Amino acid sequence: MLQALTPAIGREANASLGRTCERKTYMRFVQRLGSGFVAVLVVSTLLAAPAQAQAKTEVETVTSPESYAATALARALELSVLNLNLTVGASGISINSTPSAEATGAGVALLPNTVSAAKVAAAGQSQTPPKACGLNLPLSIINVELACGETSAITNAEGPQAFGRGTVAAIDIGGGQLLQLLAPVIELLRPVLGTVLAVVQPVLGGLQLPLVGQLAGLDPTTDPVSALVEKLTKATSLVSIKLGNSTAEGKTTAGVVSSQGNAQGAQIDVLPGLALGGSPLLSIVVGSAKASATYDRTGGKADATFEGAIVVVKVGLPILGGNLLEIPVKLGQPIRLLEGTPLESEISLGAGTTKRESDGAVSAVADGVKIHLLKGISGGVKLELAHAEAAVGGRTRVVVRQAVVEPLPQLAKTGGEPWLPMAGAALLMAAFVSRRLLVARVGGNNQPADS
Amino acid sequence: MSAKSPLVNALRTRPWARRSLSVFSVLLLLGGLGLVGYPFATNVYQGQVQSRLGQQIASPELKQAYRERKVQTGDSLTRIRIPRLDVDAVVVEGTTPSALRAGAGHYPQTALPCDVGNVAIAGHRTTYGRPFANLDKLRKGDTIELSTPVGSCIYQLSKDPFVTTPTDLSVLEPTTTKTVTLTTCHPRGSAAQRLIVQGSWVKDLSQA
Repeated sequence: MLQALTPAIGREANASLGRTCERKTYMRFVQRLGSGFVAVLVVSTLLAAPAQAQAKTEVETVTSPESYAATALARALELSVLNLNLTVGASGISINSTPSAEATGAGVALLPNTVSAAKVAAAGQSQTPPKACGLNLPLSIINVELACGETSAITNAEGPQAFGRGTVAAIDIGGGQLLQLLAPVIELLRPVLGTVLAVVQPVLGGLQLPLVGQLAGLDPTTDPVSALVEKLTKATSLVSIKLGNSTAEGKTTAGVVSSQGNAQGAQIDVLPGLALGGSPLLSIVVGSAKASATYDRTGGKADATFEGAIVVVKVGLPILGGNLLEIPVKLGQPIRLLEGTPLESEISLGAGTTKRESDGAVSAVADGVKIHLLKGISGGVKLELAHAEAAVGGRTRVVVRQAVVEPLPQLAKTGGEPWLPMAGAALLMAAFVSRRLLVARVGGNNQPADS
Repeated sequence: MSAKSPLVNALRTRPWARRSLSVFSVLLLLGGLGLVGYPFATNVYQGQVQSRLGQQIASPELKQAYRERKVQTGDSLTRIRIPRLDVDAVVVEGTTPSALRAGAGHYPQTALPCDVGNVAIAGHRTTYGRPFANLDKLRKGDTIELSTPVGSCIYQLSKDPFVTTPTDLSVLEPTTTKTVTLTTCHPRGSAAQRLIVQGSWVKDLSQA
């Protein structure tokens, strides 16, 4: 019987073993199929994902804005006696990149009605107050302004602009029969003109009287002052005399910020506007100081210059083609006396200096005539005839350029995501595989599959 | 016969492992069904949207907005019919993803239908109703009809459909005559390229 059963048991064993092997083979196939689907999914996702076209653009980021500032001042005359000050013909300006502009102009600093001030502190503003004069006698042919201050401050598209002027005793003399009216004025001017001509003569040498003769058609052997004045007052042209004239100006353009201070102790223009280009035929300046400073906004560099002189003669003859021949007369370096003592005194004629700071800012100072006596005694006695200063500094803006990658504009995207259905199929396959694993390996009776 | 793997041993000896695998397989099944069924779901949604848009396009409010050129993004603009492809769908204003859930949208920077200029319309190809699914089957000479609240007109294809890059915006450039441009993604199911159909105005059908 056992022998009869053995083949049956053997057949049963063989069948069971066959089923087991089939199950193993089947599971192995399912696992490989699932792996293949996952691989297809990954590959299709990589291949089907459309490349997003990108455009590179540069974005400019300002990390440090541009900044600049400029100042200038000028004084025609400053007298200080034991710390008591009198300033006539003063002007000053200040501009910066806020933008803001400020200007002052004073005929006599102590007389409020001769002081003008203007200030603006935002873009697109303008302030030009009326001229402030202590005495103004406008007549038909003579205009006498004594102690006037004039200012303007503007912030326009280019930047801040400021102008200040302070003058004392400006006299314009017209032509015609004014001798009687002008007699006291002319007498007042006589010593000034006489001094001027006396100074001019050694400079121009033998040209002076013939020059004057050319202008006035005079006999050079007569009194040149009286003859000149008489001729001129009867002429139809003008003589303009400004005593204590100072101007301070600050300008901003797209490329440059500049400041300039200009002061003259006295300026006499003979026949102004007669020469070509609108210049006076003859201009004589006694005590002149000019200081200039400029800042290059593009390169970030500043420069300063000065010019001081005690006499400047400008001649605008037609033969010069409309240009002014300028003849400055300088005497150079300051003279110091009793240095180091309370009685120390300093005299400088036509002197000046420039200075550059560590941050690149520059300044210039110019003096026509500067006398400072007894410095150590309560400030001493100080006389400045024509003094000018100018300073400017700035910093260019720092820009950092960053590359920003932006997607290019595209036609509307109306296609589906190709990876979605494949991902769904892969998930379904993974679900099937895991379910089969759970059932096949564990079994309903918890029997090991390979027993 | 075969070595027992650690996974199999875990499944046999730890009930929590069997339960976790069971739950995981159910989640996989649901996720797979969701992803596979997504296109069908969008078609159902688009059908509902088209029903609403069909009522809106006949409303006097939309007609007024159309006359004033003030149709909002997502609102009905025109009905497009392509006889050869049996396409009949309402086109909305705008081509934003939400607007295009209606199936087809009008590029807002292009001309209005039946007006002088190039009227451009983008449409889905595999989802949201697939109005432009068979755009590649059109040929030169086939017609496209646009019906707006204020009138209808017919365009005729001036050339066979062509493929271009997604960044080729020249197809949207204005024209001095009345033209129409249809865009959709290409190949089917992918957004790698764009399929373009262009036609010229033939005649106006009616003025409302």
